[in-house]
Amino acid sequence: MDVSYSAKSKLVCAGGICMSYGELCTTSNFTFLKGASHPEELVTRAVELGLSAIAITDQNSLAGVVRAYAALQEIKRSITEDISIRSNEQIDHSSRQVSQGTSISRPELNKPLPKLIVGTRLVLEDSAVHWVALPKDRKGYEALCRLLTLGKRRAPKGECHLSSRDLLEGCSGMTLIAVPQEDYIDAADFIAAMARTYPSNVFLGCAPRYDGSDQASFDRCMELSHATSAPMVAIGDVLMHHGSRRQLADVLTCLRERCTIDDIGKRALPNAERRLKGEQDMARLFLNHPAAIRRTQDIVTKCNFCLSELSYEYPTEAANGESAQDRLVRLTHLGLKRRYPNGTSERVQGLVRKELELVNTLGFASYFLTVYDIVVFARSKGILCQGRGSAANSIICYALGVTDVGPETITMVFERFMSEHRGEPPDIDIDFEHERREEVIQHIYEKYGRHRAGLCATVIHFRTRAAIREVGKVMGLSQDVLSGLTGQIWGMSGNVVDEKRIRELGLNPSDRRLGQTLRLIGEVIGFPRHLSQHVGGFVITQGRLDELCPIENAAMEDRTVIEWNKDDIDTLGILKVDILSLGMLTCIRKCFDLITTHDGPELSIATVPQEDTKTYDMLCVADTVGVFQVESRAQMNFLPRMLPRTFYDLVIEVAIVRPGPIQGGMVHPYINRRQGKEAISFPSVELEAVLGKTYGVPLFQEQAMQIAVVAAGFTPEEADHLRRSLATFRKMGTIGTFRDRFINGMLERGYDTGFADRCFTQIEGFGEYGFPESHAAAFAMLAYVSAWLKCHHPAAFACALLNSQPMGFYAPAQIVRDAREHSIEVRPICVNNSNWDNHLEKRTDGALALRMGLRQIKGMRKEDADWIVNARGNGYHDIPSLWHRAGVTSGALERLAEADAFTGIGLARRDALWQVKAIRADTPLPLFNDPIDGEAINEPTVTLPVMNLGEAVVEDYVAMRLSLRAHPVELIRPSFSNITPHAELPNVPLGRVTVCGLVITRQRPGTASGVVFLTLEDETGVSNVVVWAKVYEHFRAIVMGARLLKVSGYLQREGIVVHLIAQDIQDMSYKLSELGHPMDNSVGETLPQADDAPRARASTSAGRAFHPRDQANKLFPSRDFH
Amino acid sequence: MKRRVVSLWFPSMSSELILRKEHYEGPFAVVAHIKNGNRLLCLSTMAEQRGLKRGMGLADARSFCPEIQTVEHNLQADVAFQNSLVRWAKRYCPWVGKSGIDGLYLDVAGSAHLFGGEDAMLHDMRARLIRSKLTVRIGLADTVGAAWALARFGEGCAEGGRTGQAISALPVASLRISAKEDTTLQRLGVKTIGQLANLPRATIGQRFGPSVLMRLDQALGDQSESISPEANPQTYSTRLTFPEPIGLAKDVMAGVERLLLRLCEKLTQDMMGVRVLSLICRRIDGADQQVELRLARALRDQQRILPLFKKGVDGIDAGFGIDQLRLVATQVEVLQVEQVAHSQTQYNSDGLHDLMTRLGNRIGLENIQRFLPAESHIPENSFIVSPAAWSESVGSWGNVNPRPIRLFPPEYVAARGHRPPNRFNWRAMSFTVGRIIGPERIAPEWWLEDENWRHGVRDYWKVETLEGHRLWMFHTPQNPNWFVQGVFA
Repeated sequence: MDVSYSAKSKLVCAGGICMSYGELCTTSNFTFLKGASHPEELVTRAVELGLSAIAITDQNSLAGVVRAYAALQEIKRSITEDISIRSNEQIDHSSRQVSQGTSISRPELNKPLPKLIVGTRLVLEDSAVHWVALPKDRKGYEALCRLLTLGKRRAPKGECHLSSRDLLEGCSGMTLIAVPQEDYIDAADFIAAMARTYPSNVFLGCAPRYDGSDQASFDRCMELSHATSAPMVAIGDVLMHHGSRRQLADVLTCLRERCTIDDIGKRALPNAERRLKGEQDMARLFLNHPAAIRRTQDIVTKCNFCLSELSYEYPTEAANGESAQDRLVRLTHLGLKRRYPNGTSERVQGLVRKELELVNTLGFASYFLTVYDIVVFARSKGILCQGRGSAANSIICYALGVTDVGPETITMVFERFMSEHRGEPPDIDIDFEHERREEVIQHIYEKYGRHRAGLCATVIHFRTRAAIREVGKVMGLSQDVLSGLTGQIWGMSGNVVDEKRIRELGLNPSDRRLGQTLRLIGEVIGFPRHLSQHVGGFVITQGRLDELCPIENAAMEDRTVIEWNKDDIDTLGILKVDILSLGMLTCIRKCFDLITTHDGPELSIATVPQEDTKTYDMLCVADTVGVFQVESRAQMNFLPRMLPRTFYDLVIEVAIVRPGPIQGGMVHPYINRRQGKEAISFPSVELEAVLGKTYGVPLFQEQAMQIAVVAAGFTPEEADHLRRSLATFRKMGTIGTFRDRFINGMLERGYDTGFADRCFTQIEGFGEYGFPESHAAAFAMLAYVSAWLKCHHPAAFACALLNSQPMGFYAPAQIVRDAREHSIEVRPICVNNSNWDNHLEKRTDGALALRMGLRQIKGMRKEDADWIVNARGNGYHDIPSLWHRAGVTSGALERLAEADAFTGIGLARRDALWQVKAIRADTPLPLFNDPIDGEAINEPTVTLPVMNLGEAVVEDYVAMRLSLRAHPVELIRPSFSNITPHAELPNVPLGRVTVCGLVITRQRPGTASGVVFLTLEDETGVSNVVVWAKVYEHFRAIVMGARLLKVSGYLQREGIVVHLIAQDIQDMSYKLSELGHPMDNSVGETLPQADDAPRARASTSAGRAFHPRDQANKLFPSRDFH
Repeated sequence: MKRRVVSLWFPSMSSELILRKEHYEGPFAVVAHIKNGNRLLCLSTMAEQRGLKRGMGLADARSFCPEIQTVEHNLQADVAFQNSLVRWAKRYCPWVGKSGIDGLYLDVAGSAHLFGGEDAMLHDMRARLIRSKLTVRIGLADTVGAAWALARFGEGCAEGGRTGQAISALPVASLRISAKEDTTLQRLGVKTIGQLANLPRATIGQRFGPSVLMRLDQALGDQSESISPEANPQTYSTRLTFPEPIGLAKDVMAGVERLLLRLCEKLTQDMMGVRVLSLICRRIDGADQQVELRLARALRDQQRILPLFKKGVDGIDAGFGIDQLRLVATQVEVLQVEQVAHSQTQYNSDGLHDLMTRLGNRIGLENIQRFLPAESHIPENSFIVSPAAWSESVGSWGNVNPRPIRLFPPEYVAARGHRPPNRFNWRAMSFTVGRIIGPERIAPEWWLEDENWRHGVRDYWKVETLEGHRLWMFHTPQNPNWFVQGVFA
């Protein structure tokens, strides 16, 4: 074992013909917490090194291969199209932060691109030998998928249990490379057995370790190879694409092993040699075994499977001997007759013909039929649903009943979203009622079987917050510093962690360890962490799905998930149907039911009267609590300026208050033009056709793409590529080049720079939060229907809204309050009248009153409520009778008493609670089950102090999060002077005003540069407070933590929209404890969707006038107890 | 005689304990890990003024008040401090007990007059505690419960026999009931102790079980509650007084033998072993002679300890004679009873430990050291040297790559190239290279700053010279240089 390497290898370049090397074993970061490079980076580096091939072989997984495939495609395209990829910026989708991340520079090319080999590193439960399995052809790939599915389906989520036996049975069609982990001797038998089973397909992998014993281990490997007749092949056993990732690899090891970097010890990588190496390096290392290098090339030529071969077969959906296309045509015409009872116009007929033809050419008929079948199933079960997405707004879908938005309302043309050259599947999402979506999902599993249907995965990435917390912990930053760093993230924009903030935390940014930590945090952001299930994207196949992709169990019961996510599926052109859930649909369906029960007409989304003036009047004054999509504060402010009068106005309304148009600066020009403050002009005649309906301002994603074609001279393919770069290849940052081309293209055609800039900024915004017209139209439909219901059946709407909670933007307190403002009587919870759900009661004057249901009681279980309702008979006359008959637990009785539900039987809350407290057993004792006169225990009567109003209000909030008695501010108001009630705000003279109210929303939108918007509520109404960033910095703690605020500032009015610009803010939360109740911190709880402040706040009940002992007691159960 | 109980409560003990030692500018808080999060445990006044509260999460507190400075809670220090407060409080009365983690009980019945009456005594307590920068709340009553209530809810002094009136207006929470019971009572409108006491007893028992009633009775004195004073810590010392002074080393040794026998019996009883022993010989002229014995491991075997005293005793200057011997175990450790093994395979380290003790008492026990493996790839960091008496040896080193037997700081060798040179000079000798094995590449531990590794990655080679040396050499490719770092045997 003497002499090892010579500096220059002569054998390799003998005769000037260079031998080529293909890397056959790389671990990407889809082997979670192990691999230290993205698959994209590995591929790009392989191109740079001029390798003949690279195999992505993650541990028991194929999750990363599509990324690598897409990256290779992108590189190919960049070479052929001569677009250099140079942006280094990467966006953390979750926190909307830009960080320096993966960068792909255009490689220097003097060699053909490497071949991508799809593969897996099989790690077995009963053997220390790892196997790199590389499918040779489609058959081999299918076998590999089946093998992985087998292992994954019998293991819990995220694991794969395979044994050596499985391998001996199911590895045909693959090249297998054994990678012994420990002792070579023990491995021999197994390898020999494999070599016997799969003759000439088994190899022995040999990886250099650079630990001084390489030559010796190569020689031993050689011996083993002789003994087992598995030829030796060189592999790199690569963990990272570049040596600089060693630090990250060590950090990942720490995360995996749950230790800090200082305790990592020998688990750290001794050097950075597990990087991707070029053939020169490998040839030098394997100088004495050149055949091992040459053999990689043999294997590369043998493995000819490419992901593009996955000829994916969609279920035919043919039925009764009728082909899919025929069936679609028949159903479409049937539907048209229903939709247009008076016959179809020439235009519609033309459209239908055109669309059907296109569907036929592209062969997507079965896809439409699948969607149709699912919708029909949902309808048969009475589940409300609506399709959306570009293809959903076609006339075919309108005829099939997938959507109720008529194609005439939309400007778009069908082929724009489904064109031949795009060769991409159409996009239909179907929304279902959120409470009943699971039924639809299980129906799909049942209909197609688990071997044919599966949900997409979602890759959960390291996000900024998690990255700081976890990497920081590994690097040994103290909890203090960590919570400081993460605490500062709230509402932070721009780069990962900026230096000023660090200095503010009292840290030294030039500290070496801190610098390393921050850099590693930046590197780890965007790393995949684990797979989760997609919200509802189904992949359905004609043949076996487990031959297309491995299937694994999801964390949720009865769900199975494939390993690829949405982007991967897009890349491979696999169709998916999105089965999504939408709370508003539940609400609308419940509302329809309520109206029918109370003698109203039978309604459906399609039969709700369109273009109703009263409904639009209501929308114009922003009376929209509970209305879908337009209930948020921003929308409410925008409605009075937008003044929607027709359906298309609503479509725009839904689309415009979004990050895309806001970042693109399109909102103001649009509103000015609409209000006639600015002349409507078009940058050019061609664009008039594109932007006509939106007054010359691009608002929708489709328009942006059309601008690229019409105004910037992109071909449709390029525009499509641009869109895909935005959506799929965000990571690779191809945007920069497009920007130049786009803007130059527009300038050449005579548009001005400002307009071009704005258009492109908007396109970028769309990339993240794209909102196409078709989606907007579907949402606008629901917005209109919910507005119509609110306008014409307010009681039923409020009732349905409460019964569909949790959903929407507002808490029940605001919904009830809004209902009462619309003069609907709201009746309190009563054990003798309430059901589980809220319901409507007919009043003597014929109007409907809303009776609150038991579901409004915090902590009440549906089962208990059902018992109470079912055993009610003619009503309960006292608490024991309820207890005996309904058989509910004492806990449930307590909940009822707390919610004051016994008033109906003549018991005040406190007395009821006193009685309930005496019941301590969970079930009645048999002896007292039927108390006979004189045998029941007589308790001495106790007169408890009467509950004052303040206490009663707090009790209401504790039990139900709302009160029908009084508003807390009403009770506190006398102790203030000079406070303007909110209802007065529109009338008082402009100037300095002070208001006081409970905080109901607290928002800090990413698009508003640090401004915080607060909504306060008092007994008369709500007020909108704007806190500028400077004021916020000053009152930061109060704004974030308080529940009751007193705000002074200047009024601003625009039409009916009133804003208070805060100057001075005071925390008045302590006033709530003056209401005299120990649990006053229940007053002023906000919902997460309406409050951006950190959640921990609620639990710490900051702002309460606490005696220190109280807090101490809460934290530490006093040690005086023995 | 009626009891009179003083309850002392130190609401900010943890933070004041730290602030007494160190000055912090600005808001300050003690932080502890409670309920899955770091929470503020104790605050300085300034932090309270900034709106921070006890029990708040640290992350929240930071966003409220970014400049807050924090210190981790040290429970041991708090307990130790409370113990010292107990000792201090014994100046007022012998019956002192702990209350929770931040308070004391004193039964001052019969001792108050020594300080000029109850008022004067409380005044004295307060004055002394304020002088030592401690915030204190004091309550005085006939019962433990009432004193506790008064200390924590509105400081006061209940006259003898009037406990009921004194606490009737206090909130029910002052009864040391659980937070849940407190809330429920308040929700029922029962807010003060007086109100609770007026309710029919049976109804309370029916609803809250016995605990609330027990606390009420304890506070009102209807049920007794004891103060358990702390026991003194166990000491291990024995003493032997002679009727006639002795002066011979032999006699002293005989005395030590007797003392050891008694001491070791006591240690065996408590399953303790001694680590440091101190022999104090009182001379008749009053000058004490002291011999200290430090053992390499905890022992309680007088046969083995006794000979170790020999050297120390020889060095004693007896003067006019010694009339008393005291043997004190100044440092003890828990030492479990062990099974005596007779089999040959058992490795008996007693001899080694005795040797270490013997040597240690001459050259200092901490000067006897041993090598232990450390978890690191870096050769310089792959071992640690630790005092032999305070570490256990680990069986094997389990190293895959054998390391040289001698390792020294890298010594420069003039050479070039990536592979070991054929001829080189080192330590004024010239060598011709025979066989080489390598390279083993080791990269610096990037998370540490190590001056020795400033040249970056090292490629280690095992080099056999024709002259017969086996050297461990390395090359730093990033900064081309050659070094010798070790010699194989």
